[in-house]
Amino acid sequence: MVDCATLTSVTLCPTFWAGLGGGLSVLLSAIGAGIGIGISGPAIAGAGVERPEVMFKTFIATILAEALAIYGLVVGLLSVFHITDALTLAGSVRIFAGGLTMGAAALGAGFGIGTSGSALAAATAEKPEIFSRAVITLILAEALAIYALVTALLLVLQAS
Amino acid sequence: MGDNYIIARIRGEKGKLLERQQIHSLAEFRTQSEILGVLAEGPYGKELSELKEGSSPIETERAVRLGFARGVKTLISSSQGPARDFLLEFSRRFDAYDLAAIVVFKAQGKTWEEFVSTRQPLALLKEAELHRLYSMDDLRTIVGIVGDRALVNRVKGFSMEDLVGEKASLVRDIITAWGEERFYNYVNDKLGGFDRESCLPIVGGTVDLANLIIILRSKLIGIPSVREHLISSSWKLDDRTIDQLLVAQDVTQALDLASSHPYYHRILSGARQKHEETKSLSFLEVASRKHSIHMSKRIFLGFPYTLGIVLAFLVMKENEARNLAAIVAGVGAGMKPDQIRSLVAIPD
Repeated sequence: MVDCATLTSVTLCPTFWAGLGGGLSVLLSAIGAGIGIGISGPAIAGAGVERPEVMFKTFIATILAEALAIYGLVVGLLSVFHITDALTLAGSVRIFAGGLTMGAAALGAGFGIGTSGSALAAATAEKPEIFSRAVITLILAEALAIYALVTALLLVLQAS
Repeated sequence: MGDNYIIARIRGEKGKLLERQQIHSLAEFRTQSEILGVLAEGPYGKELSELKEGSSPIETERAVRLGFARGVKTLISSSQGPARDFLLEFSRRFDAYDLAAIVVFKAQGKTWEEFVSTRQPLALLKEAELHRLYSMDDLRTIVGIVGDRALVNRVKGFSMEDLVGEKASLVRDIITAWGEERFYNYVNDKLGGFDRESCLPIVGGTVDLANLIIILRSKLIGIPSVREHLISSSWKLDDRTIDQLLVAQDVTQALDLASSHPYYHRILSGARQKHEETKSLSFLEVASRKHSIHMSKRIFLGFPYTLGIVLAFLVMKENEARNLAAIVAGVGAGMKPDQIRSLVAIPD
């Protein structure tokens, strides 16, 4: 067990790195989700005013943006669960890397989901029949976060 | 990204605009009530449903214009920031239309009641202000109250007494062109980046064609100092071209020159022939609208988050309202479908 209080530098403390990783995962993912919802939300509302029938379809952008925060939360919680006495410095750096990967990817994916979700809402409001094709870009933006989730889970689960 | 709400609403409304085929079909109807029956379910339904049985074409036209105005006012009330400013500036254009109508109606000796039934519902000028203007008799005083010094100078040399026929049309064109110039200056000076770039092809083209119409109409009447009546702003119609147009001997030569312009030749090709056939310049107004719609369609294919999208939609919507008004008036006057179609602007 490493007693962080006795260390000469906080950078040698496993709890610091694991905690920072978990925190960044939750924080950046939440920001990414917020960006996604913030950009696509008004467009979905605008589309819903003109075409109420497409509102539920286009709501998928908000759901996918919200999922980013959940991915971040999962990685964050797993990181917290790994903060034990047995955690080594090498393991904690893995958790930090996992958290940072998840958070940064969710940030990018959030922007992608926001802009493509907004465009999806606008395009579907104009031509409802193109929804099934226009939604592909939204799914591809979400896939970015899923790649990061897989990588982050592998990093965090191998930490111990 | 702040205008996502408005952009999405506009896209939704664009999807409800009448298609080319629907416009053509409406021109086939023989009675106004048949047209109203088709339009009752659409965006103009609310205003059209309030019309009484046997309404005149003027009342129906007004109902269509009210429907358009309601759409724009709804957008204004739900927008904020630059989009709201932009929509208000767009609406200010209609003040010039009202001012031009006041001048022409007064010159024709029509009553206030006749004018007020045709006033622009989107104009920002209050009815009381319009009534005050209508009680005046001096052209420069009327124009000076709503317009600026530049507009007053442009109508110098005209008086209310001699505004008949083409001269009245020329003064109307000068005043409406001033309204378009004011909007062009707003776009050119106040907007930047993608917003400015996407809007300029429409507002610039409108200003250029407004100048062209003033030149041609002046030549029809035989006015010597045409330059005094022109808009000072221009877009693709540069000073050299304007000079060439000004020294053209007659309308035919000027139309030949204009139709060889590198930018406007596409919409002005065959202009001379159309003028010789119709003996009027009304085809230029249709050509100007077709150009704006063509540009609007291109804007809709470009970057989706600019004020150009707002303008492109408004142009298409305004054109639809004008087309419907022309169809209603044409059917009311017993015109043939082909004649009616020549009055509507549907891009190829």
